[in-house]
Amino acid sequence: MTAIDAPSRAAPGRRRLWVAGAVIVAALGFLLFQGLGEATVYFKTADEAVSQKEDLGDRRFRLEGAVVPGTVEAAPGRVAFEVRGAGGGTVDVVHQGDPPELFQPDIPVVLEGRWDGDRYASDRIMVKHTSEYRAENPDRVDEYVGKDRAGGQ
Amino acid sequence: MTAPAHDRLPARSQASFILGAAALLALVSTIVLGLGLPPTLEQGPYARLIAIHPPLAWAAYLAFGVTAITSVLYLWSRTRRRVWDRVAASSAEVGVVFTALTLVTGSIWGRPTWGVWWTWDARLTSTALLLALFLGYLALRGVQTDVHTRAKRSAIAALVAVVDVPVVHFSVEWWRTLHQGRSLAQLTPQSDLDGSYVAVMLLGFMAMTLVYGWLLIERYRVEALEEHFEDQGLDRALEERRAEAEAVVAR
Repeated sequence: MTAIDAPSRAAPGRRRLWVAGAVIVAALGFLLFQGLGEATVYFKTADEAVSQKEDLGDRRFRLEGAVVPGTVEAAPGRVAFEVRGAGGGTVDVVHQGDPPELFQPDIPVVLEGRWDGDRYASDRIMVKHTSEYRAENPDRVDEYVGKDRAGGQ
Repeated sequence: MTAPAHDRLPARSQASFILGAAALLALVSTIVLGLGLPPTLEQGPYARLIAIHPPLAWAAYLAFGVTAITSVLYLWSRTRRRVWDRVAASSAEVGVVFTALTLVTGSIWGRPTWGVWWTWDARLTSTALLLALFLGYLALRGVQTDVHTRAKRSAIAALVAVVDVPVVHFSVEWWRTLHQGRSLAQLTPQSDLDGSYVAVMLLGFMAMTLVYGWLLIERYRVEALEEHFEDQGLDRALEERRAEAEAVVAR
């Protein structure tokens, strides 16, 4: 049956190719705009969030920093804490919702939300775990020597 | 009437059997040893996913790399052979499976550690793009045309798509991401990777490489079988039409 309509096969094949091409280009365009455009400045550090506070206004942006020990106040469905950037800038955070399982003092987090007065109103906490894979082993030398790393990178 | 070459079915080779057995053994060892890894300080038991997630991504890189190389071999007229087109197609298909599995295992890992199944950071976005690009490549191969045009067209598409592989790999260094940096970037004595983690990860890389090799051989064989039956079907159709024509003439 394909042998019979062989001469006219080129035309619909070509059209299908164009349609497939257009769909692919549209999908890639969406991914690029949705993703990479946003991803190149995926988050602002706590230092940047403080220095660019005026410009940011009440726009949504992602905020990155390490959870400052001793500042975490958890209540059901709500948690307040401070995050600190590598440059020492700190931001007061109020988060609506429960924090993820690995949320703990000193861990770097990426938050989603906006400036609300002097505090950052967050509605999503993402824990930015590092590429550190050390066993929970009590007799580690650096546990006694003291941790050489503070915050995250 | 049929050419003798058509009657020879591409059989499962002994090499494929041995490779398959080795792949299975390596995979089972990776899973068993991976589950036996100690919990880490930061991620607890979830860190064990390192035994399979980075190796799956590596296998996807490898698969698309092979597709790119065989595509070049097809495009260059001096090395042009149909076998390169078949290998490129088979490898891309296997690569798509590995990319999808990378995204799935990453998502499963992300939910308990990051707290989200997905986020549009550079590593995740460029990996999703990689999947879309090679699904597009496979769709392009589905467009009806003659064998040479299809091979040439898809070879060019593969070379465009493969550009995303280094982008995925270095995205964690070029941009700010939620995703962690490259785990094996600095293997020094003061490394942040415990020895047991390095060992199981390397075993995982070996296992996925073997699995890739075995899948590629088998997918190639299926490709050859499909072509064999297509040719046979065409021969049979020709025979039937000829018989019909003879019947008409005889009446």
